[in-house]
Amino acid sequence: MPVSAQQYLVPVISNDEIIADHRVLTCYAPEVAALARPGHFLNVSVGDGYDPFLRKPFSIYTVNRERGEISMLFSIVGATTRGMAKKRAGDEIDLVGPLGGKIFQPDTREGATHVMVGGGYGVPPLVFLSKELLSAAASTNIEFIIGARHKDLLLCEAELAEAGVTARMTTEDGSHGMRGRVTDALRVVLAELGASPVTVYCCGPTPMMHAVSDLCLEVDVPCQLSVEVGMPCGMGVCMACVVDLADGRRVRCCTDGPVFAAGEVKW
Amino acid sequence: MVNTSVKIGKLTLRNPVMTGSGTFGFGSEMSEALDLNALGACVVKSTSREPRLGNPTPRIVETSSGILNAIGLQNGGIDNFINEKLPFLREYDVPIIVNLVGYEVADYVYLAERLTEAGGVHALEINISCPNVKHGCDFAVDPKLTFELITALRKATDLTLITKLSPNVTDVVSVGRAAADAGSDALSLINTLLGTAIDIRKRKFRLANVTGGLSGPAIKPVALRMVWQVHQALPNIPLVGMGGIVTAHDAIEFLLAGATAIAVGTATFINPTAAIDVAAGIEKFLEEQGIEDVNELIGAVTR
Repeated sequence: MPVSAQQYLVPVISNDEIIADHRVLTCYAPEVAALARPGHFLNVSVGDGYDPFLRKPFSIYTVNRERGEISMLFSIVGATTRGMAKKRAGDEIDLVGPLGGKIFQPDTREGATHVMVGGGYGVPPLVFLSKELLSAAASTNIEFIIGARHKDLLLCEAELAEAGVTARMTTEDGSHGMRGRVTDALRVVLAELGASPVTVYCCGPTPMMHAVSDLCLEVDVPCQLSVEVGMPCGMGVCMACVVDLADGRRVRCCTDGPVFAAGEVKW
Repeated sequence: MVNTSVKIGKLTLRNPVMTGSGTFGFGSEMSEALDLNALGACVVKSTSREPRLGNPTPRIVETSSGILNAIGLQNGGIDNFINEKLPFLREYDVPIIVNLVGYEVADYVYLAERLTEAGGVHALEINISCPNVKHGCDFAVDPKLTFELITALRKATDLTLITKLSPNVTDVVSVGRAAADAGSDALSLINTLLGTAIDIRKRKFRLANVTGGLSGPAIKPVALRMVWQVHQALPNIPLVGMGGIVTAHDAIEFLLAGATAIAVGTATFINPTAAIDVAAGIEKFLEEQGIEDVNELIGAVTR
């Protein structure tokens, strides 16, 4: 699939804090909204002059194609996200996208259950995927596991509930939901589902994805991982975001991924 | 109607704007974002005899007004280029320039012969100056080695030869002169400037390769000075100026310093259409200034 390396300067519609240092920025970008699918990403610049110099990649959180709106959920960690946090309704934001070569491929098997496993800012693209699956077929079976160190860092529980998805929450300190890690909850979910068709979709910090990938390989359940590495260009030309695959190939995360199958990636 | 076309060796470019090797993939990646036919020339990523996996990550880090890169010339090798990449490029009406890299003279000669034979390649840019691989700078720092390499290549091909010079030398003019004397049709400069960056909390180098090549607006004054220096010393050989060009303003500075063409490199990472935007900006400048021919700008700077 060719990438859409189109640059847009679009108006911000809203920019709201959802939990401490995490915000949802919504903008009016009908061309992007029309093309965006779960797994795609946007390369954002808030650069004033040459600082910060490079764009930074963000996953897509919500898409409203009728209204031509897209949103990104981000945590404030660096110069770009600090710049994004300052954007107000009516300000413009500069983005390129939607980018990405291989994106989430929903399991089309009859009666399949889609198991989302997200951590941190890996959760938003899985919310997008869940909503897309539900809007295609309201009866779609979705399980959603969200992990965080502490309850104050859990994202999107209410948004999912609104969409009719009850997320299973895990916290490492037991402050909310199940005490432990997402893999502990995933074992429970997979055991409940037994031999029925299941696909796991995972996005989060690398150690988490590694653990989820290992578990899925161990129990022989297909798993799609949205891999995150630094992507200076996002268009497949700078060759910096390479991922080593188990078959010996070294490929670009941005255009050969960012979604890879468990077992495909050499950790 | 202004004339924007320039000549580099046997090539006539519709405008002076090329892409920088290693910043534009093999053209296909960018073909959705812009019309390749609107470029002066399309310079594709370095191609070597055998496939190369390149360096470990992190390979690019951001610095003040620029980036350090240490990709390490990852590419699929010449067979992959000819079979998988070139057919796509042949469909376009734009000069295709392939950047060549090798370990020894025989590698470069082999690549030049293969690409001449393949058809659809219009010029070769000879990368004698990649700072990110072992022995990558051997040719570029030694006028004698450069002369031997370009002499061998001149015998091997009739394609336009553009020798890419490194700024990481004591005397860029002497290397440029050696390449010109050996029959290089043009010189391109500058490649990246060797540098590094450190994470002070981890007390570690930010690049896995420790050092990398600096590009982007941070290096523009250095590149501009070197283009001017080489043009002063070698006024008869066409130069392709590059190093931190983001805007038409930047590009015109290079033309005035003595470049016949320019390349937009790192800027493409931030603005996918940077190269054609620069081309359009140059044309607009000519119209605004009532300059009929872009060639009037070349080397026209005065003290």
